[in-house]
Amino acid sequence: MNFELTEEQSLIRNMVREFAEEEVAPTAAIRDEEERFDRALMFDKLGELGLTGIVFPEEYGGAGADYISYAIAVEELSRVCASTGVTLSAHHSLCANPIFLFGTEEQKQHYLTPLATGEKMGAFGLTEPSAGSDAGGTKTTAVEDGDEWILNGTKIFITNGGEAETYVVLARTDKNAEKHHGISAFIIEKGSPGFSFGKKEKKMGIRSSPTMELVFENCRIPKSNMLGEEGHGFKVAMKTLDGGRIGIAAQALGIAQGAFDIAVDYAKERQQFNMAIARFQGVQFQLADMATQIEASRLLIYSAAYKASNGISYSNASAMAKLMASETAMKVTTQAVQILGGYGYTRDFPVERMMRDAKITEIYEGTSEIQRIVIGAGLTR
Amino acid sequence: MKVLLVAECREGKVLGNIYELMGFAEETKSEAVLFLVGNENDLPHFSGKLYLGDVETCKEYNPDTHKQLLLQVFEKEQPDLIVFSHSSYGWDLAPRIANSLKLCQISEVVDLDDDGYIVPACNAKLRRRVKNATEKVVLTLQAGAFNAIEPGEETPETIAIETKQQSQVVFEGYEEAEQGGVDLTKANVIVSAGRGIGKPENVSMIKELAESLGGEYGASRPVVDSEWVEHNRQVGTTGQSVTPKLYVACGISGAIQHLAGMKKSEFIVAINTDKDAPIGEVADVLVVADLKQFVPALTEKIKAVI
Amino acid sequence: MKILVCIKQVPDMESKFKIDSDSKWYETADLVWRMNEYDEYGVEQAVQLKEQQGDSDVTVLCIGSDRVKETMKKALAMGCDRGVHVVDDAIFAKSPQEIASIIADFSKDKSFDCIFTGMQSQDRGSGQVGVLLAEMLNLPSVTTIVDFSYDDGITKVKRELEGGIKALVSVKGPAVFTCQLGLNTPRYPTLPNIMKAKKKELLSVPVADLLHVESNQETAEIFFPEKKSGGLILEGEPADLADELLKILKEKTTVLS
Repeated sequence: MNFELTEEQSLIRNMVREFAEEEVAPTAAIRDEEERFDRALMFDKLGELGLTGIVFPEEYGGAGADYISYAIAVEELSRVCASTGVTLSAHHSLCANPIFLFGTEEQKQHYLTPLATGEKMGAFGLTEPSAGSDAGGTKTTAVEDGDEWILNGTKIFITNGGEAETYVVLARTDKNAEKHHGISAFIIEKGSPGFSFGKKEKKMGIRSSPTMELVFENCRIPKSNMLGEEGHGFKVAMKTLDGGRIGIAAQALGIAQGAFDIAVDYAKERQQFNMAIARFQGVQFQLADMATQIEASRLLIYSAAYKASNGISYSNASAMAKLMASETAMKVTTQAVQILGGYGYTRDFPVERMMRDAKITEIYEGTSEIQRIVIGAGLTR
Repeated sequence: MKVLLVAECREGKVLGNIYELMGFAEETKSEAVLFLVGNENDLPHFSGKLYLGDVETCKEYNPDTHKQLLLQVFEKEQPDLIVFSHSSYGWDLAPRIANSLKLCQISEVVDLDDDGYIVPACNAKLRRRVKNATEKVVLTLQAGAFNAIEPGEETPETIAIETKQQSQVVFEGYEEAEQGGVDLTKANVIVSAGRGIGKPENVSMIKELAESLGGEYGASRPVVDSEWVEHNRQVGTTGQSVTPKLYVACGISGAIQHLAGMKKSEFIVAINTDKDAPIGEVADVLVVADLKQFVPALTEKIKAVI
Repeated sequence: MKILVCIKQVPDMESKFKIDSDSKWYETADLVWRMNEYDEYGVEQAVQLKEQQGDSDVTVLCIGSDRVKETMKKALAMGCDRGVHVVDDAIFAKSPQEIASIIADFSKDKSFDCIFTGMQSQDRGSGQVGVLLAEMLNLPSVTTIVDFSYDDGITKVKRELEGGIKALVSVKGPAVFTCQLGLNTPRYPTLPNIMKAKKKELLSVPVADLLHVESNQETAEIFFPEKKSGGLILEGEPADLADELLKILKEKTTVLS
């Protein structure tokens, strides 16, 4: 067993950190303030750097790297801008990955390659007004009509919605089947007839990442755009979320690390009662707890990522990593704001943004409660 | 000890840094001889020997030619030290001389004592004491590290030198400094305006001081928010982090957001009416004054000396 | 075209430095290491030249312990074709003339058409190696370049001088150039290129094979400069204050010279 990063992983960390600090960080606050997605910076540049298809084979335009590299990339982006981190995570784990896992050769050539090279951006449509954690409750329907599927329904809270060109969407193909069995997955392109976008969400955090409603009104797509077998959509969704959890865990880790780094620097500089506040044991104890939780999260994430890359079942590992990392992000960012005191509460320092950004990691791609259900079910099966 | 001081010439004019080299010679109580590829109508004030290469034929930057001339002078004078400024001319020519003479070169000397020469290391965070292992040494001196002497009225005794050596590097002319776009992170001097300047009309006063020092002007957050100064000149956590050689904070109280962006500057001067303003914690010098009176007075005095 | 670029691994200058126990160098444990900033411009220029010329080959050379390989991998991921690692665990004790002679010995029979180095290293900052190397190889050299163009055997560069003025210079044939910050925009190594770098040749050469000169200087001590003596407070009439401040600026800073 070896806890050191490989040379490539370490080069990837340095490269992404340099890019994140020099190019992403300077506009993170203003993009948050203006709730503005900057595609050229937050996606196209990632494509140029080869980050939009990290784990996919070179034949599909990917870099052929491992999941730890992927986690590192999302972590480093999120360390300065959680919105950029989730843009990559949603694209990579939730759209490109299910096409890689379940797509036909033709689908992979046609859809995965431009996603992996960053030419196109991806998103994933699962959640509906009445089906969030309970994916089985999907109400969007897909009905066969000659050579086409006709979709009707609405998807909400879709990360990268509106901006993405390629969507993986879950819809019910069999009304009579048992809850989980009548669902299928589809690849839908922006511009398909009957596919439009609804309202843009106004969010607490990750405000530079677009979150939109997808509306299907007699949306027609070719029959060949079904992803995986008919009726197996629930399996596609669950497998997709297993990978997605590594991305969100890495995002949470990045947020926590970013807030922690700022808190440590501040504590060393800030003088109160004629000494740096870092010299107070009360502050040191807080920093110690923060650092320990961050490191524990990191190890859980890398261990889940290792399993994902090596064909070992990782549902439980990724659920544990996501649960731990997202709760750590919330705790650490809250403490960071506390350490910075009044300054931490202002928008002059990024920790208040990080605290707002952290909250979503406990909610999306499976709430903390769902993660506990997944882990618990795995333990008592 | 005998030192050979290397003067520089730019666009036909001798540069003032030679007086710092003379200051070094004085401080080390050395006998000095000068070298210059320049112009007989513009020579440094000096009462001693100056070996003069003709800049018309040798050009202002022609390393191989200058090297040959300097080697000739070394041959004749056998100085203990050959001293350059650590300038674009000095750091280019000095290693060529050191290599030809198989001498040790010590770069960017800021001080010396009986145990060796002191040079900066790691972006001036550390100092290194260097001992030479050759008897004679080539030095380049950091600009400003040694006090320049006040030039007198003397004229040196010139000895013309020449060489047939052509340079492999061809000097084709100068390009003037670019104007326009500001990048505060590259500025050597930044003069910043804070809320204490009172009204937008006073920004011009800050600009003038910055110009007189050959630097850029900046501002703290409140001044930018009031749109007295454009945002790309803001210093602090929501603006730029800067580390100039000199930072002058005018009417800036020193909010932590501002301090974070400038406290790593090499030398900090604060001008404030409040002696207890937090900017005083990072300032090397705190001038307690009304900046509307003090800044114009300072600008005038600086213009007089530069 | 055969191109050589020489790089050095240095600590991140934001690091908190500590002095080594024998006071000869900084402690190397617990530092974050990176490519000397000036050298990144050299690597970028070398790769740009290769891309412009086609059918070219860029060798990146680095002297140091095994730790420097990571920095070399970055250069390979940026587009250099092969690496030469001169293995030396005591590079910090080498003088500029020793470093230059090591590189010169390696290069003497390789007939490089163009050699790039940084104008100085961030930790030692002597700014000598590039020029010494050129002199040892009998090649022309230009220092502190901020602009580079090559066409048909003629290289035209701009040298940065004081006060933002630039000198326009041209050189014919093989030459050495030392790179100043801002020469170009160093690229980020892309992920696919990082993966490819793994497969590129990285040759190790023991330093003893290349070093045949004695050091001409030594570091007697490394130490922290004296701390700022605490803020000086000046009070009085504005005109007198201006005189006083001017005097201080002349003494303590270099901005008035």
